Amino acid sequence: MPKRSKILLVDDSPLVLLVIGQALEKEGFDSRRAGSVEEAMALLEKEIPDLILSDYQMPGTDGFAFRQSLIAIPEYKNIPFMFLTSVTDHAHMITGMSMDAIDYIDKDTPITFVISKINNFLNSIRERHEHTIRELSSAAMALNLYSVPQETPRIRGFEIDFWHKSFENYPGGDFIDAITINNRYTFIIMGDVMGKKWGAWFFSFGYLSYIRAAVRLCVSEGDVSTRSIMQKINLVIYHDPVVSEVLSTLSLIMIDSEHETLSYTGAGDLPLLYFSYAEQRINRITSSGLLLGISKEGGFDEHLLTMQPGDQLLLITDGLIDKETPVGKKTDLDSFINEIAKYLGKFNSFESLKHDGFLNQKANEQIDDCSLIFIQKTANDITNTFA
Amino acid sequence: MILQTHLLNNALIADIQLKEANLSNSEQFKGELISLINNGNKFVVVNFEQVTYVDSSFLGALVSALKLAMNNSADIAVVGLNSDIRSLFQLVRLDKVFRIYTNTQEALTGA
Repeated sequence: MPKRSKILLVDDSPLVLLVIGQALEKEGFDSRRAGSVEEAMALLEKEIPDLILSDYQMPGTDGFAFRQSLIAIPEYKNIPFMFLTSVTDHAHMITGMSMDAIDYIDKDTPITFVISKINNFLNSIRERHEHTIRELSSAAMALNLYSVPQETPRIRGFEIDFWHKSFENYPGGDFIDAITINNRYTFIIMGDVMGKKWGAWFFSFGYLSYIRAAVRLCVSEGDVSTRSIMQKINLVIYHDPVVSEVLSTLSLIMIDSEHETLSYTGAGDLPLLYFSYAEQRINRITSSGLLLGISKEGGFDEHLLTMQPGDQLLLITDGLIDKETPVGKKTDLDSFINEIAKYLGKFNSFESLKHDGFLNQKANEQIDDCSLIFIQKTANDITNTFA
Repeated sequence: MILQTHLLNNALIADIQLKEANLSNSEQFKGELISLINNGNKFVVVNFEQVTYVDSSFLGALVSALKLAMNNSADIAVVGLNSDIRSLFQLVRLDKVFRIYTNTQEALTGA
């Protein structure tokens, strides 16, 4: 469901608040109502609306003084502001419009017309916003800055798939990568840069570069321990003032196709979900490492896994495990595991997760990036069979 | 303002006045918490009692502030986590990074 735009109405007349408030709600807006500027300021502390519609003439602080105080506060000054008032002489209209108001509307204007003005304005903002994202996304692609690899690696005895959905098509804070070192070793990486949209997007590429470099350097020096590689990445990030302000989770998996084993080290990541074909159940594999760059040591461990044909391993980011409940949103890994269980243990588990809509439905409920890496042990070839 | 603060003994109690703590308010929260540290507060107790949901960007903001606090010889403790948020702290090992207490009183006595 698309997000409802929030409109803050400010008017000392309870009747105006009621009539306009109801008309807005009927048109699909979410209205917040304040009977005075002081009430409006209190509401703004709790929540930033998409637009403010304010009267001019009010007892105490008037609409002009309200607008001026908003302009002086950095968090509030860019909230689109419209006057809706019966004081419509030219002098007042010019003064109002000179305060960066987007409109100055006569209170006698039919309410449907006022709502059309609001709709037109918010639509033009939305279109401009989408256009900017499209431009930046194509710039990112032109620079070859993908946060998810374009192809999945092919490793003898394993089937590997990636799924990623970015929040509202922002190039996201989640990143996935696969680094094939040689016929024997492949590293699989997943991380979530915790931060605001564009900052996270920018830094996810920065992080990926660090990690790619660290993995290749370590392997070239004969170090293929995920724990040791994670420690080195953590130490570099901890000491680097440029990236130490940004925090990221990281799951690092190394697949050794010769021994058919996996090593795993995690940093502040969610547990891996391991479906055991023999037991027909999902087990959690929890690592001990802290988020990258928090502490010098990081407390990392290393898990060695020997997967049997039919076993499946899932890496997920936190966007997938949030859930909307009657009492509000909550983070619930247990429910996610219960819901995903019926898809696992089949040779086409990943395809059905993708095509039955389970993953898309999860992603649509979220206001975050969602990512999943799916690793399945097959028989000793690269066909989709278990044995 | 997201944080409402008051002094209690030698600590600054900062109540988060949000139900959903997420991407849309994490930057403002981080800015406010960092100001409290930069103003010289040595022990800030962040109270989550009103919060029902936290996402990773908000946790990231909290951890960034803790890093700054540690560089300023200050500390941040966390109180009032509901059971879901407490589980999330444990899931991503933040229970090893923050001192977590049931309520402000416990945080002050270090119980």
